[in-house]
Amino acid sequence: MGLGEMSLRFKQFVIAFLGLAFLGSLIFVQYMEVTRKRQESGLADSHVAVPDSSKRCVSCHEQQTAGIVAHWEGSTHAEKGIGCFDCHEAKQGDADAFQHEGYLIATVVTPLDCARCHAQVVEEFSRSHHAAAGNILASLDNFLAETVEGNRQPFNPHSPTPGRPDIDSVNGMASSFLGCQQCHGSKVALQSTDGGKITVDDLQPGPNGQPTNREALGKIVKDQNGKPQFDSGTWPNTGIGRLNLDGSNGSCTACHSRHDFSPRRARQPENCGKCHLGPDHPQKEIYEESKHGVAFRDLKDKMNLEATDWVLGEDYSQAPTCATCHMSGHSKNGGRITHDPGERLSWTNRPPVSLVLDTDINGKVVKEADPTKRAQLVVHSAESKRNEMKQVCSHCHTNDYINSFYKQYDDLVVLFNEKFAKPGQKIIGALRENGLITDLQFDEEIEFTWFYLWHHEGRRARHGASMMAPDYTHWHGMYEVAERFYMELIPQAREIAHQAEEEGNTDAAEKVNAAIEAILARPEHQWFESGK
Amino acid sequence: MGVISRWVQERLPVSGDQLRELTNEPVPNHLKRWWFCLGGTPMYLFVVQIATGILLAIYYEPSPRTAYDSVRYITEEASFGWYIRGLHKWAATLMVAAVILHQIRIYFTGAYRKPRELNWMIGVFLLICTLVTGFTGYSLVYEQLSYWGATVGANITDSIPVVGPWMKSMLLGGADYSERTLSRFFILHAAILPATMVMLLAIHVSLIRLQGITDLRFEDDDSEKRTFNFFPDHLYTELIMGLVLMILLSVLATVLPATMGPRADPLTTPEVIKPEWFFYVAFRWLKLFSGTFAVLSMGFIVFVMLIWPFVDKWLLKRFPATEMSVWIGIVGALTIIGFTIWEAAVAH
Repeated sequence: MGLGEMSLRFKQFVIAFLGLAFLGSLIFVQYMEVTRKRQESGLADSHVAVPDSSKRCVSCHEQQTAGIVAHWEGSTHAEKGIGCFDCHEAKQGDADAFQHEGYLIATVVTPLDCARCHAQVVEEFSRSHHAAAGNILASLDNFLAETVEGNRQPFNPHSPTPGRPDIDSVNGMASSFLGCQQCHGSKVALQSTDGGKITVDDLQPGPNGQPTNREALGKIVKDQNGKPQFDSGTWPNTGIGRLNLDGSNGSCTACHSRHDFSPRRARQPENCGKCHLGPDHPQKEIYEESKHGVAFRDLKDKMNLEATDWVLGEDYSQAPTCATCHMSGHSKNGGRITHDPGERLSWTNRPPVSLVLDTDINGKVVKEADPTKRAQLVVHSAESKRNEMKQVCSHCHTNDYINSFYKQYDDLVVLFNEKFAKPGQKIIGALRENGLITDLQFDEEIEFTWFYLWHHEGRRARHGASMMAPDYTHWHGMYEVAERFYMELIPQAREIAHQAEEEGNTDAAEKVNAAIEAILARPEHQWFESGK
Repeated sequence: MGVISRWVQERLPVSGDQLRELTNEPVPNHLKRWWFCLGGTPMYLFVVQIATGILLAIYYEPSPRTAYDSVRYITEEASFGWYIRGLHKWAATLMVAAVILHQIRIYFTGAYRKPRELNWMIGVFLLICTLVTGFTGYSLVYEQLSYWGATVGANITDSIPVVGPWMKSMLLGGADYSERTLSRFFILHAAILPATMVMLLAIHVSLIRLQGITDLRFEDDDSEKRTFNFFPDHLYTELIMGLVLMILLSVLATVLPATMGPRADPLTTPEVIKPEWFFYVAFRWLKLFSGTFAVLSMGFIVFVMLIWPFVDKWLLKRFPATEMSVWIGIVGALTIIGFTIWEAAVAH
């Protein structure tokens, strides 16, 4: 039937119907708009799919711990139907498994759990320096927290704390647990029936994360419901290099805060700022001072932080964040993200003397000085890592600009190494080799002086240079390094030598003084005593 | 007569009868058929484009530094921005399609013949204006493909002999795409071309009213009466078409919303540059032949289209027994479809 062959009355009906349909479409558009605005303003949740296996968890925890459920509802996991049980599921025989409302679950979710879906990400993370952060437990820094600041064994309080009669013991590890280990990661421990702790060392897990030491498993303290009891010093802990009971290292929630695992948050510098700040490695403050950080603060709203892939050069170009340079994908590498933030670093500025970040087959820094042997050991060269970083830079900077920046950066690192770090190391070495200071760390003033010089001020200078923050490079960095070196390290070393001489240990004193004088006679140090 | 009616009558001396006569012109019976109502469709979509375009212009900022972000703001943040942009995008696509379909209908029914030659030529100008408006609108987004599409377009203009370089310079505001280019595209897209189209449409519709609509009698139409009333019969039909179009636009804008590609990067040429689909045929032609020849031959084809009523008259005289224009039209339409599919199917 042609249009004109319809009766006028019928046409009116058709118009009325279509008019209503159009009105309906406008109402639908209005609904979409309102929903979008509510989601954006956080008043409504995006679409949530609760899988059957997690329905009981959600219904109960909505009352018990509503925040957890609310966070999860805002996650991509919730949108994709990944629920509580998918991550917290445990297997029979897991050290920390327990029955909870008919489900066998574990409290701590480890990278091994995340790897069930994110295998590639966990693999990248596992070879990163982040995953090895828990190794601090045997380091100088931890000696500071566990011994200098605290005590490895609990000790008695020496006077009562009014109002708290229950305080009958001092936990000497508190500084380590709450300081070092909340960034670096704890060695997660369960309480043992013999009063000790059960850690990964005792459980000896196999490749599937299940303990092989049945005896240790049998000693785990459990409550009346059969729930294993954690050692309160080591859990809760979201340190990035956490040593888990299943043998895995790391904690994905260090960056991807549970339970919303927001990629948007992980892309922002504040996320890294939980740990990368402070006197010894103020990367976040350095970044904030740099033009990169300034641009980010100004243009954050335009950086498409909600994007699915967040590819530099495609989703945004306004400014880089920590994630942009060290981890995120960009238009020149096909958007490939890495969870090993060391993949684009060419120096390690962590040790007293910066090292070229050539790494071996195990991802360890190659320290071999002989060029031939070194070349045989290097699997991933610093140069290739630097080229990876340069690709990121090249989204906004020309090759000349990038290469000149790297020249400036290299020059600063080498200046610090050659003028202060290696000489400082030599003086401390001379004092120790000649028995003028003990092997024990931090029991002499000069050890604190040296620690401040390289660990705090020296790193600030090098990190400041690496991320274009002039004030950190100079005033918070090299200026303080120089002041510490000339006004404290040298005088303190001479004083120790002088005392040794007075005590009749002239040989040792002469050797230390010779080392100091040889350093001060170098052209770059000659100015220091030229006026005396 | 009431006081108000008298007051209006004194100032607007048009009687109800006159108004009825003006709006109630009898229209030929063939307009009862769906396919013959396409002439009103582009006009309707043009009104949608004007309305949505004005709303988009409130937020759009035509400079390379701000254009992409302002479109992103419209798409992602402004209230109903995504919907208005979706309507604008899809109405543009449908408008191009409707104009082409209308022209095909006019062509194959010979409605361009005497005395309607001039109106055909105005129609061809309207088609050109529609395509150029589409091209400039696509460029305004300042995403990677639209930027490079505009650059390629400007380079094509450059290859026109004698006036090409000057035209390119006028289009870009200099030798290359620069800070001044986008504002020119914007003025073309939002002021010059729409104003030209309004004028051409006014003449187009006036000529239709003056000359009347071509009366096509179908074999199965044995009615005594050759016409029916414009009001309300045909107006209702147009209303139905308009509502169907609006619903269709709404569905397309919500189901297939307008998206954004990567921001334009003048330093990185994309591997594949594609214009909007309605330029595929021209793009393929340009790839088949060398620069100046391709541009000149394309200009020649457009010129022949423009003067087709006179070419057709000559063909009728020369070959009276054949339907030459129909066969040429079929070959032309198949070539356009073939080239469009070819360009769509290949990466380069």
